[in-house]
Amino acid sequence: MAPKIAANLPEEELISKLKSRDTTVIQVLYNMYSGALFGVISRTIQQTVVAEDLLQETFIKIWNAADSYDSSKGHLFTWMMRIAHNLCIDKLRSKDYKNSIKNQDLENNVDFIDEQKEVTFNADLLGLKDMVNALKPELHSVLNMVYFKGYTHVEAAEELHLPVGTVKTRIRMAIIELRKHFN
Amino acid sequence: MEAKNYIESGKLELYVLGQLEAEEQIEVEKMIAKYPEVKQEVDAIEFAMEQYALYHAIPPPPDMDRMILDEIRKTTLPLKVSIYEPKIKKLRIALVACAALLVLSLVALYSTYDKLNNAKDQIVSLNLEKEKFTTTVTFMKQTNADLQKIANMRDDPDWKTVKLSGTKMDPKAKMVVYWHVTGKHVLMDLSKLNLPVNDQEHQYQLWALVNGKPVDLGVFDVKPDASQILANMKGIASAQTFAVTLEKRGGSSSPTMNQMIVAGNVSI
Repeated sequence: MAPKIAANLPEEELISKLKSRDTTVIQVLYNMYSGALFGVISRTIQQTVVAEDLLQETFIKIWNAADSYDSSKGHLFTWMMRIAHNLCIDKLRSKDYKNSIKNQDLENNVDFIDEQKEVTFNADLLGLKDMVNALKPELHSVLNMVYFKGYTHVEAAEELHLPVGTVKTRIRMAIIELRKHFN
Repeated sequence: MEAKNYIESGKLELYVLGQLEAEEQIEVEKMIAKYPEVKQEVDAIEFAMEQYALYHAIPPPPDMDRMILDEIRKTTLPLKVSIYEPKIKKLRIALVACAALLVLSLVALYSTYDKLNNAKDQIVSLNLEKEKFTTTVTFMKQTNADLQKIANMRDDPDWKTVKLSGTKMDPKAKMVVYWHVTGKHVLMDLSKLNLPVNDQEHQYQLWALVNGKPVDLGVFDVKPDASQILANMKGIASAQTFAVTLEKRGGSSSPTMNQMIVAGNVSI
């Protein structure tokens, strides 16, 4: 009954299937992007179970909000990532999550989180190391706070005791660096 | 120049990272639509961030996709709906057709009912006419038979015609009695009768005077519309005079003399 599902498809095809409510597109999107989305989610939310829930919620929201996606405003992936990002921020700011983090802090020392992180990052440790080495640390730390840690650029400026303008510049420079590697 | 400054402002990066307020976001979207080079720059930033994310990808636990798909299929059934849509459409058309047929049937039924009622009315009025006709025919047959009888009386010498004329009580009153002496028949000719219509308490009584003694020949009513010409009365073998008195309903055993309205002698 179920047709064979493609491993990946061009963006236009993904969009048209998503808009025409073809559920098979979710499997394709999952094959293509679940790792990238989960990478960001699980770096922002360090409790694995919660991160997994959020990945699930992200895909459900992608499906339910498909009508609101406008390709003239950006790539499909940017939109999907924004959904994941917003769900993470909402979770970080929720009372439940804050309480659970507090409890964990009381029960465990700071090393626990670092260990957790290391385990989480293990999967692509090699690639990450290359990236980290390639980027100037002061640039990549600002980008990563915003991209992987759920900070707003204004919060990042406060945390780093830097002017907002400097943070903006560093984000731009970091992305220019990235573009050299990828484009 | 505007585009270049905009590209260098750092806003496009924040736009891609979802860091802008709604107003600024709209502003960037306008710039993207206006300047192809701004769009190109945003594309490049998006591509880089996508690669960056893919580079940092962490595979989710296995079976996660199944859970997500199950969840999505549970809450949304658009594909299944699309399978049923043509059927639903057909059923809808059928429903409309049924409704239209129902309306047509009701109209036809109403019109038939109306016609049926008209037909019933016609049958009733035809029956009435038929009854009237039958009555008329019966009346005419009777009349014809009576007239035939009267005509035949001329050939039979035993039939005597007795003319009764009005007394003091009502000088204009008159009537005719036919009497068959040997057959003892006494008939009144209602077509030649002229007596006032009697009321409910009274009736006329016909008498024969036989050797001075009154003999009852029966009672009768005078109605405005007589249905026959001849009326049979009690028979008698001999009489010299016939007379009519107005008596109480049902008649009396002897005539009330002052209520005698007509009388006539038998001519020999």
